[in-house]
Amino acid sequence: MSSVASVVGESREKANTGIQLLDEKLNGGFPRSSTLLLFSEIPAEKRIFAEHFVMTGVKNNELCLYVDFFRAPQLARRELTKFGSYPEGNLVFVDATSSQLLLPSSEKYVIKDVGSLEEILSVTVQAIRETKPQRVVIDSVEFLADRFPASKVLDFWKELTTEAKAVGSTLCFLFINWTYDSSGIRHMREMTDFVVEFQSTISGGVMRSMMRIEELRDGGLKTNWVPYTFKDLVGVTVYFPRVLVTGPFNAGKSTVVKNLCNTSVSIDRMGTTVAFDYGNVTMMGLEAEVFGTPGQERFEFIFKIFAREVSGILLVVDATHPEDFERARKMLELVGPGLPFVVMANKSDLPGALSPEKIKESIGLGDGIQVVASVATKGVGLKEAMKVLAHQIIGVK
Amino acid sequence: MASHVMLHTVIPSAGVGSLASNPPTIDIFPDNYSVLLSGPPGVGKFEYFLGLVKQALETGRRVVFVTLDIHPSEIRTRAKDIALDISNFEGHTFLFVDCYSAMSSDKPDQDPRKRVYQVSSFSNLEGIGMAIAKASNELKTPVMLFFYSASTLFLHNSQQAIAKFMQIVTSRVKTHLGFIAYAVHDGVHDPMTMNLLKSLVDGVIEARFTEGLAREIRIHHLRGVRSDTTWATLGHSTETNVANIAGSVIPRRLGP
Repeated sequence: MSSVASVVGESREKANTGIQLLDEKLNGGFPRSSTLLLFSEIPAEKRIFAEHFVMTGVKNNELCLYVDFFRAPQLARRELTKFGSYPEGNLVFVDATSSQLLLPSSEKYVIKDVGSLEEILSVTVQAIRETKPQRVVIDSVEFLADRFPASKVLDFWKELTTEAKAVGSTLCFLFINWTYDSSGIRHMREMTDFVVEFQSTISGGVMRSMMRIEELRDGGLKTNWVPYTFKDLVGVTVYFPRVLVTGPFNAGKSTVVKNLCNTSVSIDRMGTTVAFDYGNVTMMGLEAEVFGTPGQERFEFIFKIFAREVSGILLVVDATHPEDFERARKMLELVGPGLPFVVMANKSDLPGALSPEKIKESIGLGDGIQVVASVATKGVGLKEAMKVLAHQIIGVK
Repeated sequence: MASHVMLHTVIPSAGVGSLASNPPTIDIFPDNYSVLLSGPPGVGKFEYFLGLVKQALETGRRVVFVTLDIHPSEIRTRAKDIALDISNFEGHTFLFVDCYSAMSSDKPDQDPRKRVYQVSSFSNLEGIGMAIAKASNELKTPVMLFFYSASTLFLHNSQQAIAKFMQIVTSRVKTHLGFIAYAVHDGVHDPMTMNLLKSLVDGVIEARFTEGLAREIRIHHLRGVRSDTTWATLGHSTETNVANIAGSVIPRRLGP
């Protein structure tokens, strides 16, 4: 009961992202009355994050304001159903597109002349004052940056920041930089509390998107690049394309994959994995593709194939077999240095199993390593280990 | 991946010792390459592109057509004039990126069997860039991209923004996606802008009207490809001539 109450309390003082792992990093979400710059240097999938952020608010029963220069509201409303059904009354548009298309608008807030920054400002301010939205998205600043002098755009930014703070809104500016030099960007950052930077890369015919959150005050939070994906009706989730489950022979890796994942397959022979196990896990706003490697040394070549582009490693050891720890450490080295990993002390319910603390001491991987006790056959400790790993991958400085 | 290998075995006809002839056919363009097609409005740039699309599709290549000026359904209709039924290829080896329907307030193309990547605004350069990347990835790279036309971007964005956009898209295409051809209208941009656009690509193809209003086309230059630069006839609307301007699907090569 108390946990439910605290979640509700949090959602009032913070604007959650709806991605549980990120919200944990952000202590519940972005603060109210804060300004976010959603930024990329080159085209990236950042609009989907802005939309996800707004729709999370809309579904929380918050009033949200979307200032759209690129889409007529009827099109935007239709497109946003990709997040599932939502209470439409919670989403108010400032329509800055219909007039560009010479179409009539049935919205309450309409910008009739996008050539006038004064009108854009006054209509947006009026909408903020009247609706007192909890979340505001400006999509996008590059539209303004390409039409008005930089100093005027920065004034616009400043005014909106003040107005949004006055009513307790979390204000998001989308911006891809086509035209500004570094001083323009610096001025924007100075009027911003959080920068969420986006990157979409194409490699091997696969497009991957990543984001990085940075709080711009001294000692503020900063995450690593967090890979993410979008799923219809679910929204944006953190996405790890390859989590390796590895460890010595008979440690229980296949059982970990099978019982951790919502779906899985195993290529095995006579009870031992000869090719690999594969599974997919969805939890806490996270989706991960999990690959279990064979433990026997003769299959090391398979291991090496999987050891590329790894997001993180679950290193499974048999807590009753300390003599295998040396091999476990070698397997970790095979994947390469610097990767996030968590040791799973499996079979921890068996007599003679070493405690996580003892394993931490004896495995020789340094003080900072994290060991999670698990009983893979009963599904104990698996999600916990995945969560610890996820937090390591996302990281925070 | 297998198809990736297959496409790379298509050897450009204009190898060492041979000369790319006019009108340029699809097989003269190297992989991971960019060209600009310039010519006055009405000279037949769109028909020429359609001819290249036909050759590309009929030789097993994958094509993404980015349209800013013409509705996808009109492109399908006009393709039929040169005996190309685009709908046979759509979703398999052909995709539209449609930046036109939403802006023209026409009904966007909503046929679920013909998956079309919609971009709602010419000003949304980022959206155009992402739609190009997504459509190319859906078809599996390498693809051949046709962008018709870059001129339309200038009505809605600053030259500086467009230059950066084209530079990023072109380098992304050449590194990861394959080939891109931009069409641009001659005579509507100032010479500085035209020079800027030409500087962003590997090669330029020009089309023109002669004094007698005949239509001609030639390679201006193609980086790394030895090219003939004599003007050739850009055909009329009869089917044989369209096939001629587009080049036949059989690669035409000059001997060494």
